[in-house]
Amino acid sequence: MAVIEAIKLRRTYRTTTGVLRRKPLEVEAVRGISFSVERGELFGLLGPNGAGKTTTIKMLITLLLPTSGEARVLGHDVVDDAREVRKRIGYVFGGDRGLYERLSAYDNLRYFAELYGVSGREQRTRIDEVLELVGLKGREHERVEGYSRGMRQRLHIARGILHDPEVVFLDEPTIGVDPVGARDLRRMISDLVAGGKTVLLTTHYMFEADALCDRIAVISRGEIVGAGSPAELKGRVQGGHVTEIEVFGVDDPTVDRLRGIAGVTAVTIEEREQKQVLVVQTSGEHEVTAALLAQLDGFEVGRVASREPTLEDAYVALVDE
Amino acid sequence: MSSLRVLWAGWVTHFKIVSRSPFAIGVGATWPIVNATLAYFMYQAGGSPQTLLYASLGSAVAGIWSMAALDASGAIQRQRFWGTLELLVAAPVKFALVLLPMTIAIASVGIYCLATTLVWGRLVYGIPLPLEHPLAFVLAVPATLVSVGVLGFALCMLLVRFRAASHIGNSLEYPVWLASGLLFPIAVLPAWTHPISWSLATTWGMRALLHGSLGGPVWLDLGMCALLTVVYGAIGVAILDRFLDAARRSATLSLT
Amino acid sequence: MSNNARIFFVGGVIAYRALFNWLNPWIFVPTLVVAPIFQVLFFAFLGRSAGLESDRFYVIGNALQIAALPGLFAMTFAISGERWSQTLSPLLASPANRAAVFLGRALPVVANAAFVCVVAFVAGALILRVHIAPGAIPALAVVIAVTSISCTGFGFICGPLGLRWRDAIIAVNLLDAVLLIFCGVNIPIDSLPGWMQAVSEYLPVTHGLRAARRVADGAALGDVSGLILAELAIGLTYAGVGFAWLRHLELVARRGATLENS
Repeated sequence: MAVIEAIKLRRTYRTTTGVLRRKPLEVEAVRGISFSVERGELFGLLGPNGAGKTTTIKMLITLLLPTSGEARVLGHDVVDDAREVRKRIGYVFGGDRGLYERLSAYDNLRYFAELYGVSGREQRTRIDEVLELVGLKGREHERVEGYSRGMRQRLHIARGILHDPEVVFLDEPTIGVDPVGARDLRRMISDLVAGGKTVLLTTHYMFEADALCDRIAVISRGEIVGAGSPAELKGRVQGGHVTEIEVFGVDDPTVDRLRGIAGVTAVTIEEREQKQVLVVQTSGEHEVTAALLAQLDGFEVGRVASREPTLEDAYVALVDE
Repeated sequence: MSSLRVLWAGWVTHFKIVSRSPFAIGVGATWPIVNATLAYFMYQAGGSPQTLLYASLGSAVAGIWSMAALDASGAIQRQRFWGTLELLVAAPVKFALVLLPMTIAIASVGIYCLATTLVWGRLVYGIPLPLEHPLAFVLAVPATLVSVGVLGFALCMLLVRFRAASHIGNSLEYPVWLASGLLFPIAVLPAWTHPISWSLATTWGMRALLHGSLGGPVWLDLGMCALLTVVYGAIGVAILDRFLDAARRSATLSLT
Repeated sequence: MSNNARIFFVGGVIAYRALFNWLNPWIFVPTLVVAPIFQVLFFAFLGRSAGLESDRFYVIGNALQIAALPGLFAMTFAISGERWSQTLSPLLASPANRAAVFLGRALPVVANAAFVCVVAFVAGALILRVHIAPGAIPALAVVIAVTSISCTGFGFICGPLGLRWRDAIIAVNLLDAVLLIFCGVNIPIDSLPGWMQAVSEYLPVTHGLRAARRVADGAALGDVSGLILAELAIGLTYAGVGFAWLRHLELVARRGATLENS
């Protein structure tokens, strides 16, 4: 039985524009998402900002009601059986918020332990255990307001696993954390899975999904545009080629024309300081460099490089469609 | 049993948090002094020590209500701002058990109001504090704090749906002060308003403190506080699920 | 000059709107209608119980004090509210003349003040039977407008607090209390001890209120011109001091990085 099941989840927001004459506006944040996660998996929801990852996760953790569709966690429906779901899941999100600044880490954990049903007798030992796990032992009596972003993140994880949930949902857990801290966090996350938990992670860092996840679903604009293991996703662009061309001030019509060249599967522009880099993915059959450069005649062109595609390119191709 | 644990843990946690807000304490402790001073000046003409004691206690209860009205309705707002609201809702506990101790803790900060007003009255105006019924007076303190806190909870429930909760709390200060007979007896108000007065915890808390100090039907007052606590609690809980559901539907939980 | 004027009007309305954007009229109305009415009633009844002065005394006094509040609060709210929305840094970084920007915020505030004042007087008339002669209304309106402007100037003192401390808005609550006690709103000034009387002369509202009471009783605008000018002068002085202080604190805040603390 799948541990997490999402079946055609939809979520629409109604908002308004204007002050005096308010016009209603309907925003479809999630448009029919379906996926499932097996026990012991580390599943990634990968997508750019605004793709609907956070909305999806909030529906799964019972904070938002889906507009339509169904979702089940450990067999319990997220709408009808919310309480049962909440007992068995942990929720961790990235960022500075979500903690009581004026209290110590220990006081924060005591409170949440009580709320999340850690029995009175076990609280002290459990808190010590999680503090040890996340590497905050010794600093638990300091006020959270003095904590760095990395420490707060670790405290979030501690809080999320206090009640030893079977499933842990992590929403962009490494956002804004320094590279070393982020690496530690990732190790903690893998350890959770190694310890038998099922983890659903949302992120917009491709390398993170690639490094951590057993399976990934790529979300763009409220829909899943691709799913599979990192190897499978990379396979989509295997056999292909990526050509990177430095240009100075290329315009949109030209980029569109480049997209039209036979063999080109995706073109994206990266801004790097004063220049732009056109990243052109090709299916590898044709030799298109000459055709590309021909289209760029009249523009200043710098370095031209060729390389193998990475998961990032697969992601870009999927998201760009 | 575990519900009581959750309530207690919640009360301790939130009392700590509010107590560590220097401005909340500063204002909580000083506004009552301001009210008291105002009342002292105004009553000067015919002010007996009993009238002035009345003004002291009334100002303290006014302060307790202010904390409850302004802060309790703002409590949800604050949790939203701190990003903790989601975590509280996502907990497998009845949200009422999370919110109740929060509003009671906020009202409890009113204990500082009581202390400072009585000390101020004693030091600056020489107002004595007789204790005709000492036990009842001592009980009247938590009775007032809890019943006003639960009233704050009921208020909060009505406002949890909306984002501008604290603005309503603002506009309820004077009406409740007016109706509760805090700085002047209810007898001054038109008779048709009396039922409103009798349904407010502040009215009975005030009377309990006054009668505990000067003598009077204090046990009736305490009984009314207890009764109203149950009534407000029931109302709050009844509204709670409906509104929480609506918040999940319209996604107002994490918006600041 | 015209650029400043544009900032004054446009910036003011947009910022005010932005801060109140999430208010729904069902909530905005109680704050502007319910609260003023009950403040007037509260003090009128307190006065009756204490046997001090008349209902009329409390209606005029509190109506004017209520008109003063938006100016006091809006300045601080404008700054600490924006701090909360963390738009404060980009705003201060803008080259727009800061005086124009902040005064622009004052404009909707004055309109707000006028509105709540009217509500208070109408309540006084309907509930307490306190009537102001129609002939006195234009002059009274002038006095109210001047007092409101003067308090906005006073609010300028409070505004800079928002840059220094996180919860400065609560300190402004205390200033509200000061006005209630010192300025003759609920306690006749000659009933106050000597030192308090002296302080009241340097606060806003005191002179405006004196003028308002006389005008309500039939005095002409000319008779109270001295008081009106005094009120205006006091307000502008505070505005000047506040503005200078704002610039000073800005510098300190930049050095101490307290701008983004919340």
